[in-house]
Amino acid sequence: MFLHDLNPTVKALTIIGLVFLLAFLFDPVTPLIYICGTMVVTFWFGTFKKKHYVYYFLPFLLFAFGMFWTTLVFTDKSTASEENLSLFGINFPAEDVWVATSLGLRVLAFATLSLLFLFTTNMVHFILSLIQQLKLPPKIAYGVLAGYRFLPMLKTEFQQVLAAHRIRGVNKPETWKEWIVQYQRMAIPLLAGAIRKAERTAVAMESKGFTGDRDRTFYRPMKIQRKDWIFPLMMFGMLGITIALSVYFGYFSFYGGEL
Amino acid sequence: MNHWKLKEVVVMSVLSVVFAIVYLAFLPVGKILVGFLGPIGYDLIFGIWFIVSIIAAYIIRKPGAAFLSETIAAAVEVLLGNAVGPMLLVSGMIQGLGAESAFAMTRYKRYDLFTLMLAGVMAAVFSFVWGYFLSGFAALSTGYVIAMFIARIISGALISGVIGKALSDALAKTGVLSSFALGKEYRKKRAA
Repeated sequence: MFLHDLNPTVKALTIIGLVFLLAFLFDPVTPLIYICGTMVVTFWFGTFKKKHYVYYFLPFLLFAFGMFWTTLVFTDKSTASEENLSLFGINFPAEDVWVATSLGLRVLAFATLSLLFLFTTNMVHFILSLIQQLKLPPKIAYGVLAGYRFLPMLKTEFQQVLAAHRIRGVNKPETWKEWIVQYQRMAIPLLAGAIRKAERTAVAMESKGFTGDRDRTFYRPMKIQRKDWIFPLMMFGMLGITIALSVYFGYFSFYGGEL
Repeated sequence: MNHWKLKEVVVMSVLSVVFAIVYLAFLPVGKILVGFLGPIGYDLIFGIWFIVSIIAAYIIRKPGAAFLSETIAAAVEVLLGNAVGPMLLVSGMIQGLGAESAFAMTRYKRYDLFTLMLAGVMAAVFSFVWGYFLSGFAALSTGYVIAMFIARIISGALISGVIGKALSDALAKTGVLSSFALGKEYRKKRAA
């Protein structure tokens, strides 16, 4: 519950800060512990359908594995140690496996953090908070909100254009090539329709008195309260403890200016 | 920001939303290429991920168009959920800044094919430097990293520069852009 009530700007900035720090870590143990910690926080302090979390998390897992694999195969072969590890019947230097695991886990650490934000934040609240806390110009913010509303509409629009093409005798694509051609044929009508609608929306907004002036009132005032600072304290504290632990056990490795 | 018309802002964000979906759709394409060719797979088609900044800047022709549109597209990608995480927002801002820098170099006066291709190249350069640190390219062999860099630059120039221009021109021909800078230029040409 606590995560949903947090000020969205504070939450977003905390997560960006954390991601930035995590990007400088080059050992697998620290991100692994941090992933577990982030997940515990997400499940403990957030309310959402757990099943959805799993659905969102699976592609990240795949991506992380891809990162691990490509780094392992395409990395500079390390000569620092003689030790070899065998994976899927291929031998790799132990040090390379170590680095690849750390890069893969880093992707997962970013993923858990972004899921924490996604699953506990209302998009409209986030934008309202950006206007009120980070002084985002209302003209941009409300323009973006309006544009974001086009998202479900684009889908129906797409189906309409597709149906219109079919009626006029365009066949269903059967080969790869035809499939690509179909998308090329869709692009311009879809974009043109979206631009027309966007222009109309803008005119409607202005006719109802929207000036984009900063000096405006808000239906939902967003504020940063004292309790909002608990979240950054907790998350950065957790990172500090994680790093301390892995330093203590001798796993920690920091970005050493490798180029 | 005050010399932006609301309608330009809304059209820019709609373009960003549309291309955010395109961007997401191309992530698995990139992944397949990576599966075959290694990390360079992304670089071959990397230009697709700069395209909205070139299109928005070419259509609206105001300072900030390239940067803002790419940032919004990245934000929408983050909100829709993607496999890269919130860092994508920063990547988008950096790519947008790269494209913006090319338009700033011409003082927002020239919008010919060369400038648009330059914008694609600058976005590629900016994003590569960023990717170098974020994705740990440092771990890859030097020759391979150079090949990735060149592939990304070419992709930026061709996919985002050339295709971005072609798309915008095709849109202008339909007449929907008549109240934007690109549409006005078209009308002038037709009158002449």
